[in-house]
Amino acid sequence: MKTYGSEPGAPQSVQVGISELAVSDGNDTLRSYGLGSCLAIALYDLESEIGGLAHTMLPDGDSADNSDVKPGKYADTAIRALLRRMVERGASYTTVEAKLAGGSDMFEFESFGDGVGERNVAAARAELEKLGVPIVAEDVGGDYGRTVEFTPESGTLLVKTASSEENEVTEL
Amino acid sequence: MKLDVSVLGTFYRMAREGAGLAAGRLTHMTGVETRVGVTKLNFMRGREIRREFADSTQNVGVRVKLTGAIEGYSVVVFDRENALRIVDTLLDEADSDEFDGMARSATTEVGHIMNSGFIDGWADVLEAVIDVSTPEFVEGASAEPFFGDIDETPAEDDLALLFQSQIETVGTEIGFSHYLFPKRESMARLLERLRTSEGIDYDKLDGFDRMAERGAEEVAETATTLTGIDTSVEIRRLNFVSLEAIPEQIAEEMLVGVAFEFDGLPSGYLLFLFDEESAYEIADAMLPTAVDEDGFGEMRTSAITELGNIMASGFLDGWANVLDTTIDHSPPEFIHDIGAAAVDPVIIQLGESQDFAFVFDTVVMADGKEFDCEVYAIPDEDDLERALNDLDVDRIEDAPTTAEFQELDNV
Repeated sequence: MKTYGSEPGAPQSVQVGISELAVSDGNDTLRSYGLGSCLAIALYDLESEIGGLAHTMLPDGDSADNSDVKPGKYADTAIRALLRRMVERGASYTTVEAKLAGGSDMFEFESFGDGVGERNVAAARAELEKLGVPIVAEDVGGDYGRTVEFTPESGTLLVKTASSEENEVTEL
Repeated sequence: MKLDVSVLGTFYRMAREGAGLAAGRLTHMTGVETRVGVTKLNFMRGREIRREFADSTQNVGVRVKLTGAIEGYSVVVFDRENALRIVDTLLDEADSDEFDGMARSATTEVGHIMNSGFIDGWADVLEAVIDVSTPEFVEGASAEPFFGDIDETPAEDDLALLFQSQIETVGTEIGFSHYLFPKRESMARLLERLRTSEGIDYDKLDGFDRMAERGAEEVAETATTLTGIDTSVEIRRLNFVSLEAIPEQIAEEMLVGVAFEFDGLPSGYLLFLFDEESAYEIADAMLPTAVDEDGFGEMRTSAITELGNIMASGFLDGWANVLDTTIDHSPPEFIHDIGAAAVDPVIIQLGESQDFAFVFDTVVMADGKEFDCEVYAIPDEDDLERALNDLDVDRIEDAPTTAEFQELDNV
């Protein structure tokens, strides 16, 4: 995600588009809108109040050509890129925790196989386990979309869905 | 002259890179925070470009002539209002509504900086030198003053490849269009250099446009027949975009949609999306008696699903006739959810094997009533290339359209 000319100051809300990732701190929120089968991965370190959000689209970046230029596109490379950027900014690797939201499967098309959303969730879990980052909360799967808002300071991940009559908000 | 997906991918990178540089420079100049919005490669006929200008209000533009790696013209076009707003920011003048000498030169300056941003971005991607002439200020309410005297402008029926980029600003709206009209020979040289596969004849792209036209007509006709609401095709466009750009351009609101996968040559996905208000109006128009249900219950859902199903058959029949083939589609999947969420599963599935997609983008609207239907047809890239290669351009004109409405009784 590239914004030109952002100035530090009042709390900002940065939109993290599909295949993008962003790292921030304090109460500057990071927001991803309309996740269907895409997966939002939030990592944060409560001590330094540094956190990041990735809006990933595919499971496996290690076997893709362009994961070095677009790490945010893939669950595995996004997690590593987030961690690296957070540590560079002063976060402590050992206290980082993770929250996941998204990865639903709304269409039962033949070409989709087991489900595109499920593949993303599985990939994120596997990568986080490999790196020793605990998943403390998740809201994944189902057949509906989600919008998420993440605050690094508290590690709060707000998940809004449209599945019920009234718009639900879940706090992870 | 032949092109392939890798060429278009490079062009897309050029557009994206150029928009980034242009946005950065705009920020630097005006102090307004900017972000690159949706970038598209657009295939448009000369007459559609002219129509787009005729439909709009007053525009102002800044145009430069290019020589070197790309020869032709690059034109940045703003809404008059938008241009004045930028000028206000620059000059600290309160609410001017005239383009006096100062405003003119300020707009020219901004336009030139943006043109140069784009061009420097392209030069970076192409690793070649592109020279730029001095900028020229243009003003008017039709295409004539902007492109009339340019030889490279596509004739009525010629299909041009356009670069369209949007730069968004925080707090202020500054939308603009950017047009590149390359010389044919210069384009041919570029395509030859960038192409990595056999590719398809540029002239066969015409088939694309015919497909889009037939599909769109079928959708509007079906919609009118089934709902009794007079509808027409408002926008019909063929875009080449990165997969990520597809959900990005969908409104951030609740949508009602019907989705299909289709199989044949080509295979791919087809989505009909309605805003909630339109979906209510359409469903109620299709149902014989007043509906006593809150939101989208069984009756409205089944009406919209049925409409989607018949529109899908019409749309794909239109394509199949142009391509002289058969295309089957899956049962409909109804969706009522946050806009982008309806599209991303499809993007993800296609993303396993491609980075870009051709999107046949159609908007069907009705006069005086809420009826906004956006149609996204996203074919599998390899299939589409094969289908087009097989295409006999001469027979397109003769292809019959076959919309059948027997299923109407079941609604």
